[in-house]
Amino acid sequence: MISDRVKQSLKREFSRSVMAKIGLVLVLVVLLTAIFAPFIAPHDPTQQGLEESNIPPAGVTYTTEEFQMVDGERQTVETETRGSLDHPFGTDALGRDLFSRVLFGARTSLLVGLGGTAVAVGTGVGVGLVAGYFGGRVDDGLMRFADIMLAFPALVLALALVGFFRGSDYQAIAIPDPFVRAGLVDGMPESFVFPLGLTVVVGIVNWVWFARISRGEALSIRQEEYVKAAKSLGASDWTILRQHVLPNSLTPIIVLATIQVAAIILLESSLSFLGFSGTTLSWGFDIAQGRDYLGTSWWIASIPGLAIVVTVVGINLLGDWLRDALDPGLEGEHGGGM
Amino acid sequence: MSQYQFILRRLLQGILVIWGVVTLVFLLRYMTPGNPVDFVAPLDAGQETRDQVAADLGLDQPVYVQYFDYLFGLIQGDMGYSFIRSQPASSIIFARLPATIELALAATIVAIIFSIPLGVISATRRHEPADYAATSFSLVGISTPNFWLGIMLILLVSVGLGILPTSRRPIGFVPAMEMFIFQLEIQGIRTWIAHMILPAVTLGTYFTAMIVRLTRSGMLDELGKSYVLATRAKGVPETLVRYKHVLRNTMIPIITVLGLQLGTLIGGAVITEFVFNWPGLGTLIINAIDVRDWPIIQGSLIVIGVGFVIINIAVDALYAKLNPKVSYE
Amino acid sequence: MPSIPDSRANTEGGCEMIQKPLLRVRDLETRFFTEEGQVNAVEKLTLDIHDGEVFGIVGESGSGKSVTARSVLGLLESPGRVTGGELWYRDETFADTVRADHPDAVDGDYVDLESLPSNVRRTLRGTHFSMIFQDPMSSLNPSIPVGEQIAEAVEAQRRARANPRSVASRTQGYGLSQYLMSTVMGSRKYVKSESLERAVELLELVGIPDAPLRAKEYPHEYSGGMLQRAMIAQALAGEPKVLIADEPTTALDVTIQAQILDLLTELQEETGMTILLITHNLGVVARMCDRVGVMYAGEIVERGTLADVFDDPVHPYTQGLLGSIPDLEGIGARLQPIPGNVPSLLDHEMGGRCYFADRCPKAMEECLEHPPEFDVDGSSHHATRCYLAETTYSEARALDADYFGSAEPLEDAADEPVEPARSDGGNTEEDSR
Repeated sequence: MISDRVKQSLKREFSRSVMAKIGLVLVLVVLLTAIFAPFIAPHDPTQQGLEESNIPPAGVTYTTEEFQMVDGERQTVETETRGSLDHPFGTDALGRDLFSRVLFGARTSLLVGLGGTAVAVGTGVGVGLVAGYFGGRVDDGLMRFADIMLAFPALVLALALVGFFRGSDYQAIAIPDPFVRAGLVDGMPESFVFPLGLTVVVGIVNWVWFARISRGEALSIRQEEYVKAAKSLGASDWTILRQHVLPNSLTPIIVLATIQVAAIILLESSLSFLGFSGTTLSWGFDIAQGRDYLGTSWWIASIPGLAIVVTVVGINLLGDWLRDALDPGLEGEHGGGM
Repeated sequence: MSQYQFILRRLLQGILVIWGVVTLVFLLRYMTPGNPVDFVAPLDAGQETRDQVAADLGLDQPVYVQYFDYLFGLIQGDMGYSFIRSQPASSIIFARLPATIELALAATIVAIIFSIPLGVISATRRHEPADYAATSFSLVGISTPNFWLGIMLILLVSVGLGILPTSRRPIGFVPAMEMFIFQLEIQGIRTWIAHMILPAVTLGTYFTAMIVRLTRSGMLDELGKSYVLATRAKGVPETLVRYKHVLRNTMIPIITVLGLQLGTLIGGAVITEFVFNWPGLGTLIINAIDVRDWPIIQGSLIVIGVGFVIINIAVDALYAKLNPKVSYE
Repeated sequence: MPSIPDSRANTEGGCEMIQKPLLRVRDLETRFFTEEGQVNAVEKLTLDIHDGEVFGIVGESGSGKSVTARSVLGLLESPGRVTGGELWYRDETFADTVRADHPDAVDGDYVDLESLPSNVRRTLRGTHFSMIFQDPMSSLNPSIPVGEQIAEAVEAQRRARANPRSVASRTQGYGLSQYLMSTVMGSRKYVKSESLERAVELLELVGIPDAPLRAKEYPHEYSGGMLQRAMIAQALAGEPKVLIADEPTTALDVTIQAQILDLLTELQEETGMTILLITHNLGVVARMCDRVGVMYAGEIVERGTLADVFDDPVHPYTQGLLGSIPDLEGIGARLQPIPGNVPSLLDHEMGGRCYFADRCPKAMEECLEHPPEFDVDGSSHHATRCYLAETTYSEARALDADYFGSAEPLEDAADEPVEPARSDGGNTEEDSR
């Protein structure tokens, strides 16, 4: 499905772009982290321990002042807490290990990001290809509907849609952790909470972009000679769509999908931050928790946010690489003036 | 087709889209599980009270009756009563609207002031330190969740440096201006600005970053076109080549993209408001969703949708004005 | 102070041309620094161009002729750069203007444009040098009315004339701030109404009917031929001494091509300007030019008067272009495209041989060493970079046919083959590919 020319172009762009290399490294690191989180994590990310709450990250010393009644008098007692490598990123207010939570949070972000994109691609590309290929009323109807969807900001629409799944069994499903099941690691959660409802919602609110782009592609491809030839040879519309139109509109869809993974991860973190995601093991959720402790434990809100930034930067860099390599419109940028 | 006919046609299309928006929002409510009566009626209410509540809300009617009731109410500016607070939804929503518009406008202004010069510098000094700085900034800018950026700004500026307030703002733009005009009291405006800075930067950063990227790549594209060479060849100074010719042509497609990205701005505003406890539509929606106050949710969604449609018609008209090739079809 | 190499016309006492040339190009080198490597787009280019003549540069696509044009105008863009050589331009007033600030760049009436800073050089554009481009559709700004674009060129010229001695004043009051003012306040038009009137006159001059109306139209409302006329009007707005025409007719229909060429001839006769005509069409050269330089792989491989080059070509490449190499099918055979490819011009692939040797039917052992420029007997203008100017072809010293590997099949030939001289407007051999 990927031609040699495309491979060549990807390779060339990769070899001359430092940014593409950085992006690939970042994404690989996050991906491996997400998959092998139970092996890397020093603690169970959900295990609470009030005596271990609000411990600062390793190397940071933090002083709290407390009033205590000593011998009937109010006294200020300074407690010094020192971060250690036992909790490299410190702990949150409930004493959960932040490092482990960041590692497991990568799972939520990537699963929702990839799953949501798959939902968006599935609906959007299907609708767009059909609209563009058949044209006429089908096209008009579908595109007007797309206009209506576009009138809502993704976040607002998602907020309105999460209500569908609230309280239902499908809001979040538990996926057994294969490594724990196989007995490879101990002391980690048996299963992983996958916010299914959220994934479907973030996919649905983003399908329009894919519909628009694949419609445009289908519109231009159906004018091509080879499509007309295939048609005159008696190929059915479905065959033409699958064999000619889809493969040829793949490039822009792939580029858009990459960027959408990043956008959906940001959207997921926003919804988790607002508490609408259905999971409590998410970077956005942790930021919301840390928000209440800004004056004392700055790390709880800061570190998960950095994790989001690193992940999304990585994906966006990959997106830029794909776009530069695959978009013929931008190739002139590098050529000489001859 | 003349320009006016074109705009008229876009307006009619816009009205159609708005009707679609209203219908979709109504369907959304109808299809979302959960009986509003559960939230409105007292917990210990008997069946009779519940039936009475349902009748008051019009829920005992067939769906299509409810739909047309809502539609006709809407035309008269009636969005129903809030389930939680017994006030008309419209008056609650429109009381919150100015704060959101102020925030969105401030963020847009922040974005435009910083982004276009950055994008131009980035494109015209390609592969120089200034370009690397601008591209790095814009990459991180589009990759940062704005609620987190807002929290970090609060942490660094308000908690760390102890400047700029984070409390709910005490005064809106209009009262602040009135205070200045009628009482020559500048305090109101100062308070307004102090409360506006962090939210505007929070919301504006993503947009700044996005426009920098669009401007840079669009301008590089445009600079490679042969009319640029021809314009230089006839002796036009470089600043004019860049701003009058290249930047102008770069902005034409960008304007359309920005119109479409307006949704992102509003979505960003919703969550920015939540972070800064901003008394706007965003906090209203989030709270309403939390308690399933459907008249408020519906009304807010419709207001946002209508705003989006109107602004996009304006953007289309601007696009048509700037781009002579548009044939108004 | 650098000295100007004596022009050949003077040293050899040529009887035709006593006057000093308007442009003396000496060893001009233009390089592109690309990721694939250094591209030698123009190699040691040496030329004299005289007042009021039409000098043609002819060559295949990728031979460096367009880059030459841009180098002369100082319009190269990164990654391209003029890396060596001199470009002497004769203009007494301009020499006086820059003498104080840049004494090294001035010699008598001549100014070496390559040793001027780019901001000074920029002031020559439009007023001394002007250019028309291949594709009028893409060479005018699509979102500004044609009249206003021409008026911009008029403005540049007016400012130059108002204060010819000062270089700095050329850009004063003509910058961003004024543009911003004009956008904010409608009354302060950025382009003055006199300039717009002049633009309309220029449109009339180049034969555009209803000029006052058409001036308000946008480029996409024009036909290709009309737009090329408008571009010529724009180039003439500054009343330039040298007009560089880069493939002025290539993008046009055959009938329109002839009209545009007639227009250029007419305007040249009227104004006495010098034209540097860049083309791959030998028909255009034959019709327009007084003297010709044949370009191959960034070099002028043969130059001379039209008669020298067309009737008495020495370089096998020129002969090949003219289709004058007799072939087995006998007289009357179609023009034979020269087998093989134009070289990539990449520095590391060029080597020290004659660049044409791999395609040359008369390649000999000498050709493995890069030939200098030889004078050709007969005319003082005629010179060529080929050993055949001095020696005769000998089978004994010929290189094997596959010395450089076998020649590429024809379908790989450059996508812009040189068109033959026989057709005037010239597209008859297009189908020979």
